[in-house]
Amino acid sequence: FFQDCILKSYFSKHEVLSDSSFRDLLQDELSKFSCKLLPGDPNPQLTLSGLERHLIGEGSHRHLSSTIQLQIPPQSFPLQSCKLVMIERLPSGVFADPFELDHLLHHGAYAAIGVFGDTNLELPSVSSNRSAVEIHMNFKHNTSSGAMSELGIRIDLPLHARYAPLHESGYSEVAFGTPDLLVSCSMEGSSEKRSCLIVPSSDSNRLRTDVVVWKIPCGIMSYTNVVSVVTFATALVSTLVIVLPSVLYSKPR
Amino acid sequence: MTARAMMNLRSILIGSAVFRLVLILYGEWQDAHMEVRYTDVDYLVFSDAASLMASGSSPYKRTTYRYSPLLAFLLIPNSFLHRAWGKFIFSASDLLVGYFIYKILKQRKVAEDLCLYSVMVWLLNPFTFTIGTRGNCEPIVCAMILWILICLLNGQIIQAAVWYGLVVHFRIYPIIYALPIIVVLDPRYVQLGKKPLLVNWKSNTQKPSSQSSEEASTRYNLWTAAKSMFSKERILFGLVSGGTFFLCTGLFFHLYKWEFLHEALLYHLTRADPRHNFSIYFYHIYLQYGHQLSLVEKLISFLPQSIVQLVLVSSFAQDLPFCFFLQTVAFVAFNKVITAQYFVWFFCLLPLILPWSDMKLRWEGLSCVGLWMGAQLHWLLWGYLLEFRGQNVFLQLWMASLVFLLANAAVMAVFIRRQRCSPIFLQMKVTDAKGGVKSE
Repeated sequence: FFQDCILKSYFSKHEVLSDSSFRDLLQDELSKFSCKLLPGDPNPQLTLSGLERHLIGEGSHRHLSSTIQLQIPPQSFPLQSCKLVMIERLPSGVFADPFELDHLLHHGAYAAIGVFGDTNLELPSVSSNRSAVEIHMNFKHNTSSGAMSELGIRIDLPLHARYAPLHESGYSEVAFGTPDLLVSCSMEGSSEKRSCLIVPSSDSNRLRTDVVVWKIPCGIMSYTNVVSVVTFATALVSTLVIVLPSVLYSKPR
Repeated sequence: MTARAMMNLRSILIGSAVFRLVLILYGEWQDAHMEVRYTDVDYLVFSDAASLMASGSSPYKRTTYRYSPLLAFLLIPNSFLHRAWGKFIFSASDLLVGYFIYKILKQRKVAEDLCLYSVMVWLLNPFTFTIGTRGNCEPIVCAMILWILICLLNGQIIQAAVWYGLVVHFRIYPIIYALPIIVVLDPRYVQLGKKPLLVNWKSNTQKPSSQSSEEASTRYNLWTAAKSMFSKERILFGLVSGGTFFLCTGLFFHLYKWEFLHEALLYHLTRADPRHNFSIYFYHIYLQYGHQLSLVEKLISFLPQSIVQLVLVSSFAQDLPFCFFLQTVAFVAFNKVITAQYFVWFFCLLPLILPWSDMKLRWEGLSCVGLWMGAQLHWLLWGYLLEFRGQNVFLQLWMASLVFLLANAAVMAVFIRRQRCSPIFLQMKVTDAKGGVKSE
């Protein structure tokens, strides 16, 4: 189940991230798996009982924390092996550092994590395109109790703000959408008897959560002329402060 | 060198080496156990580029690698020996700089205790020992610059030219030293095949020399320079250094094509980073980002730097280390982008000029240090509020960068005022039965 990376497949066909073309590709990819959304299926399935999103930290470097609440149905086998795939399509104005994500991977936080799209770390927002992060996480769940069980999974994604476009208020607001979530659980060691949960970000009914907004400080355009004039005036004064003593005191004493 | 002096220099170097080894080991521990790394992110870039090169690929496949392929080549053992190999190389270069400082000052007959204090100004500077141990390559550049000075002091023009071409290929900024070097290669003072006569150090208590007519005038006379501009020493230096630079550039262009030229050379010449840094221009660049600047605007930003460089060369070229020092401080201060690692470029030259300064540590010296560090800390405070607290303090941060430039200019003015400008070379008599003027 989802051994391949969906975003890798998307960016091999597209240069720039577009929500509509990504949704189409996701639909195509999901249709390849036996786990389909089956309306009216009498067997209890994995369900998403809640999604909490928070932006933790201050300044230009923060963590986007997503806590996914799952309801896992009881099974005849004691141990379930589960996989969670989360695809976070980042808004314009923030980026994930691929080297930082590599660091997380080496620390064993996730089975796989990667950022795709515009991963340039230096350019401001106006010169950048969007990027997206795909996270694969494996976890095990003990379901011998015979009743539905609740499980909360927290994913922390370190993010950084790009230099924002100028705005008179002095702050630029970047709003995060909802992630695409895919979960599959099966008996440990077997891919049979699998239960799946697919919640694309377009499913606003199930993904009801407060919109997360990041306020990024930005330059104010009306200051442009004053800043330029004073900058060059200071450069001129500093030049004089250096040039005058050089001319006056360069002879040997 | 007396045995006692060797022991003192040796103990300073050994102590510094041990301290740097401890820092490297600590850095490895911090990287493995703490959220915030000790190692500079640039070191990881160099290492990645080196392992790409080791596997036969271009080092420029690593994003943000903007150095000569020579650096990646030097760090290839990071892949098969130990990832800290590069840090050992950089720290060793930093110790070499300390040794070169001693060598240069001793050659100019500076008193032993002053030599050792000057060496300690470099080796015990916190910028110095953190920069190499964190994995920054600047100590290599500093070592090359000082070696070039040593070659010039010994009249080894060709060797100086080769290293100069190499260092300009490696880091570009040393191009600012081209003019003073050419000026100082005056055939009255430096002749091919002869060791030049050096002006020895005099303490501020000694009477000035009465043989000032034999010493080079520190006032660069444009007319006399124009007349003797095309001496064979100058032409040779220009040809050999230019040849070395173009050979290196040509070789790496052949290997790595336009990516090399763009990342290692053109990027640095056209770099205009809108992100906050110590430069006074950062906010102007951010506010104008994406707009085409007029020719007048481009010229205005270029003028202060050019004027200062020309005036400094014209005033101080004969006192080469002092000229280098002032030019470097000015170059960094007026640059469009300033990062803390650039400070090392002039910290390695500071010990070479201190024996000629009339500044006392208390209170003039400490005031200069206080003013410069204070202006920097002030900027860092606003930078912290912007980057780590998310407050819109762009205006205050920009004003702090203006204060930092003014502080740099003020410190330079104090140095100029209090320096006993001393040319490095004595005039050589061309025709003399006994073979030239005796040095002081």
